[in-house]
Amino acid sequence: MRVTIDSSRCQGHGRCWDVAPSLFDADDRGHGLVIGDGTVTAETEAQARQAVGSCPEQAVILTD
Amino acid sequence: MTYTTTSSDDEIERQIAYRRSACPHEYFAEQRAKGPVEVDKNLDSVTILRRGDVEAALRNWQDFSSEFSGIMGSEEPIIPLNVDPPLHVKYRRLLDPYFAPKKMAALQPAVSKHTDDLIDSFIDRGSCDFSTEMAVPLPCSTFLSLFGLPLDELDALVRWKDIMIRPESLVEGGNREAALQLQAETVREIYGRFAAEITDRRAKPRDDLMTYLVEAEIDGEKLSDSEVLRTAFLMLSAGLDTVTISLECIFSFLVNHDDARRMLVNEPGSEINLVEELLRWETPVQAVAREATRDIELDGYTIKKGQRVSIGIASANIDPDGLPGSDEVDVRRGDMRSFAFGGGPHRCLGSNLARMELRTVVRRWHDRIPEYRLADGAELTWNSSVLRGVDHMPLVW
Repeated sequence: MRVTIDSSRCQGHGRCWDVAPSLFDADDRGHGLVIGDGTVTAETEAQARQAVGSCPEQAVILTD
Repeated sequence: MTYTTTSSDDEIERQIAYRRSACPHEYFAEQRAKGPVEVDKNLDSVTILRRGDVEAALRNWQDFSSEFSGIMGSEEPIIPLNVDPPLHVKYRRLLDPYFAPKKMAALQPAVSKHTDDLIDSFIDRGSCDFSTEMAVPLPCSTFLSLFGLPLDELDALVRWKDIMIRPESLVEGGNREAALQLQAETVREIYGRFAAEITDRRAKPRDDLMTYLVEAEIDGEKLSDSEVLRTAFLMLSAGLDTVTISLECIFSFLVNHDDARRMLVNEPGSEINLVEELLRWETPVQAVAREATRDIELDGYTIKKGQRVSIGIASANIDPDGLPGSDEVDVRRGDMRSFAFGGGPHRCLGSNLARMELRTVVRRWHDRIPEYRLADGAELTWNSSVLRGVDHMPLVW
């Protein structure tokens, strides 16, 4: 599984890097950035799902 | 036997406004069941209520424009609130970094100290008015720190923001004309004061937000004095009362929910999800304003071009349609999407600052005053405002 961010939807709410700091970082404006290639492991899957559910703009995407 | 109501229209309006801020969950569920919008005939405005419509409207700045003035008595459009893309994007590129998470983390020790200083002032008394002794002064002291102004100006700042936000409550008999005059005079006073600060920072730059604004450039050009003033005015009008009422909403929940209070005491870090869920559940800022740029059809109702529109984020946040479970509160839940800070391009500029302030106060309070309750006989009186809060919250421990 991998996470990506649809940057055309992201408005910098900052929920992704707040709830899933091992998967996301913030740029200088506070918009979300995927760390590395976004690979989700068994350990980070719960965080990834939390990030998807938390994003008000539904900009965080989890794919198989 | 039946009784005839003798309420005047004003009295009915007053009761509606009170219910909306005192019992938003029941109130908005009723409104959503009636239709897609709530109409305010007096103001010729409509509030969009349903989740899907609210989410779409927040993103759709073309149809729901922010370009109007008159917010908090400012005749000039304030920045970036009353600016639409593409210019809006330029202002946000400039301002977002100042309010980005790393910047806010650097400010956190000062906020923590202000919180502790306030707690020191009343902890031995065993009681306080949480509203006037914590919720009001804390964001004001943060504002003064951000702008590089001395802390002894706190009382003057509290007066300014009270006049800007609820002038009616500060003039005799709530006279509307007198209130608007007082508000206009105060706005001129604030602009004058900020103008003096701009002159000062141009001569003597410092490490503060006013200096940042004075030195900032868009497309190689410095901001004009008018732009700096209108940006500083936004910080003043949007950054103080919103945090005050958020603290009041959160603590009004906590005094009624012992299990949530105990969780905060026993599990450091639990304030992060709790603050998030309570901002959604209580939604202190109930709506954000826009203006329709064309006739817009919503499930049989037509919003007219030029009409003032309130985007009802308080209603959408607890609308289970399309997001099951959102009509229930769970302070451990960290994955419920929320529009407490709005959404789309106008997502609250200060959201990272507000979260930091709220988490800091909730954490420090429960570290130092774990057992507290509403004073005997005290009842919370909600302020009937779209910025929902209480003027007083007597707590004892």
